[in-house]
Amino acid sequence: MMDIKERLGTLKYDVDKEYAHITVDEKICEKCPHHFCVMACPAQCYTLQNGKLIFNYEDCVECGTCSIACDQGSVTWHYPKAGKGVIYKFG
Amino acid sequence: MLKMAVMIKQVPDSQDITIDPVTKTLNRTQARNIVNPPDMNALEAALQLKDKYGGEITVITMGPPMADSALLECTSRGADKAVLVTDRVFAGADTWPTSFTLATTAEYLGGFDIIFCGEETTDSSTGHVGPGIAEFLGVEQATYIHSIDYQDPYFIVEREIEGAVETLKIGKPAVVTVVLNANNPRRPTLKRKIEAFRKGVTTITNKELKLRPECVGLKGSPTVVKDMKTMVDKPKDTVKIGPEEITKVVEVLYQRGIVKC
Amino acid sequence: MSDFDAIVVGAGNAGSSAAIYMASKGLNVLLVDRADPPGAKNLSGGVLWGNDLAQILPKWQSEAPLERFINNKKLGFLTEKSSFMLDFKTQIFEENKVGYTVLRSKFDPWLAKKAKEAGALVIPGITVESLAIKDRKVIGIVESGDTITADVTLLAEGVNARLAIEAGLKRPLRDSDVSLGIKEIIKLSPQKIEDRFNLKNNSGVASEYILGFLGELNVGGFLYTNKDSLSLGVVVPMENLRENGITHSYDLIEMFKEHPSIAPLIEGGQVAEYGAHLIPEGGLEMMPKLYGNGYMILGDAAGFAFSNGLVLQGMNYAILSGIKAGETAVEAKLRNNFSEQSLSAYEEKLNSTYVLKDLKTFKDIRKVTNNPMMYNTYPKLLESIMLETLWERGQPKKKIRDVLSSCASNLNMGRIKTLREFYYIYRRM
Repeated sequence: MMDIKERLGTLKYDVDKEYAHITVDEKICEKCPHHFCVMACPAQCYTLQNGKLIFNYEDCVECGTCSIACDQGSVTWHYPKAGKGVIYKFG
Repeated sequence: MLKMAVMIKQVPDSQDITIDPVTKTLNRTQARNIVNPPDMNALEAALQLKDKYGGEITVITMGPPMADSALLECTSRGADKAVLVTDRVFAGADTWPTSFTLATTAEYLGGFDIIFCGEETTDSSTGHVGPGIAEFLGVEQATYIHSIDYQDPYFIVEREIEGAVETLKIGKPAVVTVVLNANNPRRPTLKRKIEAFRKGVTTITNKELKLRPECVGLKGSPTVVKDMKTMVDKPKDTVKIGPEEITKVVEVLYQRGIVKC
Repeated sequence: MSDFDAIVVGAGNAGSSAAIYMASKGLNVLLVDRADPPGAKNLSGGVLWGNDLAQILPKWQSEAPLERFINNKKLGFLTEKSSFMLDFKTQIFEENKVGYTVLRSKFDPWLAKKAKEAGALVIPGITVESLAIKDRKVIGIVESGDTITADVTLLAEGVNARLAIEAGLKRPLRDSDVSLGIKEIIKLSPQKIEDRFNLKNNSGVASEYILGFLGELNVGGFLYTNKDSLSLGVVVPMENLRENGITHSYDLIEMFKEHPSIAPLIEGGQVAEYGAHLIPEGGLEMMPKLYGNGYMILGDAAGFAFSNGLVLQGMNYAILSGIKAGETAVEAKLRNNFSEQSLSAYEEKLNSTYVLKDLKTFKDIRKVTNNPMMYNTYPKLLESIMLETLWERGQPKKKIRDVLSSCASNLNMGRIKTLREFYYIYRRM
């Protein structure tokens, strides 16, 4: 099975280093009963490390899945600004 | 009021350039065209001077008609005028006629107090054109600067040299070249983009510049590219390591001062 | 006086089609997209049925960057070890080339360029922050603190519909509204593609699959041929992914790729791009009010997409909704009336097209496409029927009737219940 990191490596990003278009509220995540975001996110932006939710926005493909997957109100979701973020070469 | 110019180039995004597995040549056809990245730092340096002291910024490029989108990127960020220098006779130029043509354009546009360039382009990496323009115009220059201020009639620039930062005072008019990541280029806004796209770009051809055809383009280029070999990275050995080894790696990097905690 | 007659947010199929229509009728149009080049963030399975495109771009078949025309549709039921394929290939598709595979990063910038050529001002690389609303009327858009005004704003912002939702013009999305689509572009030489899929002269195949080997997961798969690549992907309803709760969405596509009937088709291919996108599948349930004072909602943002297991479409719905919104805006401009009442013509127009007719006809289709039996039982039933009838094992042969009843009872399918199920599906498909 091809590793997800390797597959994400095929994508082109223009990462906005100054603005995270998605943020999570760690306090809410601590109490989350399911962490469904970890299963749902197709870009492995959400991972659990020793029970703690770790989020990074750099690999995000801007699909919107996490904004629906999170029913605890932790995810604040926007699109990146000014053309930053994922740039599909094929689409 | 400062009269400023920024010289830019449209280049293929190096992230998009692939190596054809069969012919081993660079494949640029799929590449998105962008503004040469250090040129964006040059533009930002000019915009910051304008914010502080007022003035007018003209952004100039020599290239094919499709390079207009690169100019619009710059006017979308606050440059006032965009000039596209384009003519069949200018095609195929190396850095000598490029500098010559751009210097002549600057004179044709009435001259500038200061001309900004990026340190070099990502697609040819010569760093010639900024200094070339300065020489053709016979004005002072400072290369590889990361900051600039203005104290009439001087510019105060800082450039990093091995182990130190050098501060120079150079007289007006001047040419400076700005290093990559010297600053954070601002984002365009929709309002500015609408204005920029509506205003469009002014085109200058050799009808205006009246340069002798043997001095420009391919004919005026003293260098000839004899051969181009593509360097293919040999696949590196990868070693998969676990969490314990990662700690050790970080420790070593920390001890050598490569990472700071 | 507004800055523009119309602002279109989003340069996908819906937005660009609307912009092309309005600009070609002389309206002063702004088309703004968050990607640069416009459309570079768009992703879809990749089959475009272009009938409607001919209304605004009669020469689309010769001008657009298209991959292969579809003359072969397949539907496959996969179990762990078997595949049962329905394979329909027709000269009629070849004579009426309207279905093509496309790569959106090539197709969408082309469509946006057509909007520019028609006279629209196309601004890429800008993310609109919010709608400008005054006296309960949408008067334009806001970005970096600036308000850009228009008589009418067309929201073609895609499935996530942030502007519409944040302005309260659409309710937030729920699990039941969407499926998650995950896709890979797999590079393969044209020669290999043509040999493996029995293609020639730029013809192509579009295959949809029911993945009957993933336990309780209701996953559909697709495999389309492009010129020198394959578009391969999976679609899983968000509801179902949550119920399951133990599978990483990104592993599903790998499971599909490893299936014995898929692996040989992609062998030697290089994954050139990975991607994911939400698919609006909630139909009428998720459809917002399509118009109001100074605005209309188009394409995915309105929930215009259709899937019944046999076909999976959205781009054609987007294009037609774009054209109809464009017509409405042009007529509203003639009346100089952009009120809710004036723009209600948009919904009336859609009512007389397949866009809303299909959503109404198939309003219960999700009960079929999300029916667990469709995934965890029927593919196995087909497999066991095939094995019983085609596998010579030195056993006395059975009549079809007896094969059916023994296969069904092996899968604990009661006769009455099964008949009722089939009737249910038959009624809704």
